[in-house]
Amino acid sequence: METLKLSALPEQSKQQPINHGRFEAYVDNGGTVMAVAGKDYCVIAGDTRMSDGGYGIQTRHYTKVFQLTNKCVLATSGMQADTIALQKRLKLMLETYQKEHGKPMSTPAIAQFLSNTLYYKRFFPYYTFNLVAGVDEKGEGWIWTYDAVGSHERVKYSSQGSGNQLVIPLLDNQVAKRNQQIIQGNGDVSCDQVVSFVKDAITSAGERDIYTGDFADIVVVDKDGVRWEKFELKLD
Amino acid sequence: MINIDFDSLEQPTLFDSLASDVKYLDKPHFDLPPNSNPGDFLRETFAHPNAPKPLEFAHGTTTLAFVYSGGIVVAVDSKSTQGPYVASRSVKKVIEITPTLLGTMAGGAADCSFWERELGRRCRLYELRNKELISVAAASKILANIVYSYKGYGLSMGTMITGWDKTGPQLYYVDNDGTRLHGQRFSCGSGSTYAYGVLDSGFKWEMNDEEAYELGRRAVYHATHRDSYSGGAINVYHVQRNGWKKISSDDCFELYKKYYNIAPINKPTN
Amino acid sequence: MSIMAYNGGACIVMTGKNCVAIASDLRFGIQQQTISNDYPKVYRVNDKCFIGISGLVTDAQTLHQKIVFRHNLYKLREERDMSPKVVTNLIANMLYEKRFGPYFTEPLICGLEGPDNTPYISGMDLIGAQVQTDDFLVVGTMTPAMYGVCETLYKKDMNEDELFETISQCMLASLERDALSGWGAVVNIITPTKLITKKLIGRQD
Repeated sequence: METLKLSALPEQSKQQPINHGRFEAYVDNGGTVMAVAGKDYCVIAGDTRMSDGGYGIQTRHYTKVFQLTNKCVLATSGMQADTIALQKRLKLMLETYQKEHGKPMSTPAIAQFLSNTLYYKRFFPYYTFNLVAGVDEKGEGWIWTYDAVGSHERVKYSSQGSGNQLVIPLLDNQVAKRNQQIIQGNGDVSCDQVVSFVKDAITSAGERDIYTGDFADIVVVDKDGVRWEKFELKLD
Repeated sequence: MINIDFDSLEQPTLFDSLASDVKYLDKPHFDLPPNSNPGDFLRETFAHPNAPKPLEFAHGTTTLAFVYSGGIVVAVDSKSTQGPYVASRSVKKVIEITPTLLGTMAGGAADCSFWERELGRRCRLYELRNKELISVAAASKILANIVYSYKGYGLSMGTMITGWDKTGPQLYYVDNDGTRLHGQRFSCGSGSTYAYGVLDSGFKWEMNDEEAYELGRRAVYHATHRDSYSGGAINVYHVQRNGWKKISSDDCFELYKKYYNIAPINKPTN
Repeated sequence: MSIMAYNGGACIVMTGKNCVAIASDLRFGIQQQTISNDYPKVYRVNDKCFIGISGLVTDAQTLHQKIVFRHNLYKLREERDMSPKVVTNLIANMLYEKRFGPYFTEPLICGLEGPDNTPYISGMDLIGAQVQTDDFLVVGTMTPAMYGVCETLYKKDMNEDELFETISQCMLASLERDALSGWGAVVNIITPTKLITKKLIGRQD
């Protein structure tokens, strides 16, 4: 019988050999994206910092929001290379669709299409965390939120990326009014109010998440199209 | 790369004439990781000390289905967790495969929704080709055969396929290693043991519909209480002779307040 | 799974104007199984000092008993209560004594300091590295969620009612996103003249 070892130090034999030159499939470039849908609009925010997977910053001007149609945008955090590959793939397929059908793909169709695109990479996933935000055929604002392999859900607000755990409970409280018994007004908020709230929320995320900061793209989508705005976050 | 048979649903497109580099773009196919076993790829990638944050897929569930004199009741929770983080409380874990078939979701959310959607497509094609509805046995076997063909690829699903066909109400359990069982009562997911406890102790063959719904609801409710990875709202479906029907969707918190007569002490004045 | 998340739990302390608040959830679990839904992680040291201990519950209980023991000895010797600052130093020392075999707990200390009852909050990691702030501190299994809400909802110089509302909303909002904490919460508000304890009904899933 082996004698009981009293030391908490790792055993020599159990130490892992250092593995050189292995294939590194992924790097997490970080960043936070969030979106809030109103009655007939969507507000999307994404910071523009791109980290190197550690403490370094590779660029302060990497836009995470990508326009798919003039009624729909895609906001992606995660790995930049995979994000670009995904954006290119979607753009190509949406252009093909436009040519074949003579009209742009509807926002709900894009949402399902992105899910399939992600799932086709089920065994070698894109390291991306996505939000699709836009207005549907009826002009109603909606968000679709995804995991890396295409599980998706249609919601009224969501956040993805390195700061999502900071932002989501705030949205639960302020947008969905969870745990609030006294709610003022009828719950309808104007686009400007949401824009200002979203700015507060992403600033808060930048306060505690080191991968979020520099600038934020604030994007508003409604029936008239897509409007962009730059917003300053902390540079530290 | 492997091609899966999508029954030539996709029509030929512009890309057919393009270079071979993009020949796969127009066809649905699965990309596979280079120089690696697909089932081990993700685990090996993130086992490395300097690896980025592992991809966490939505997980955690209580689902159940049982056969009784009035058909089949399917009851599920709606919570989705990634580690300790609650990603959603409003997931639809009952998948409406066709107007007569229901599937449930446990394990990987993307795996279940993708393959049960694909199953729905195949069932519809069967219906168009054979001018009759597919049997539950056949439908569940299609799914079991699909997941079996991907054995070792790391799919994760535990699902119940239910429906009412020529042979009456039928309930099958299918999981990712290809197991396919016919049975009277099944429960699946991290909260399943708790749900079985309530379900088995409260089950009678002869029940009216309301009693059956409440049994399903109660079983999932008590599972959500004990299992931290289950919760949200409880959705109840009833499989009837001419198709399924959604019965209810109750938030667990509202059920808690109802079952234990809990009212807020400080009622709001407005 | 981390040993710090074995039992689950969440705790927040916050300062207001002439008052401090400490809140914790009520769940006691073993990994994903909920054992009890009436297990507050807040302990009273004296009327002007409360501590909240998150992490491994067995260590939290042991640590609490040792603190009570040391506090009782202090009272016998000094004939007065320990101030929150002293409690903080005491706990930090006790934790550092176990530097190479630590208690798996993260304590938060809150109270009113000195004769003019200045609000005081502090926290530390499992081996006693102290941190003092003048706004709020959080520990538990879902700290990002707690930081997110506290960072935006917290305001300076809240009175005791506002402080109660804020800490409660922060607690409930973050508990709803944490699978390992919740099942209700308890909030304590400490003021120079009175102590208010309220239980919050929370989701039971």
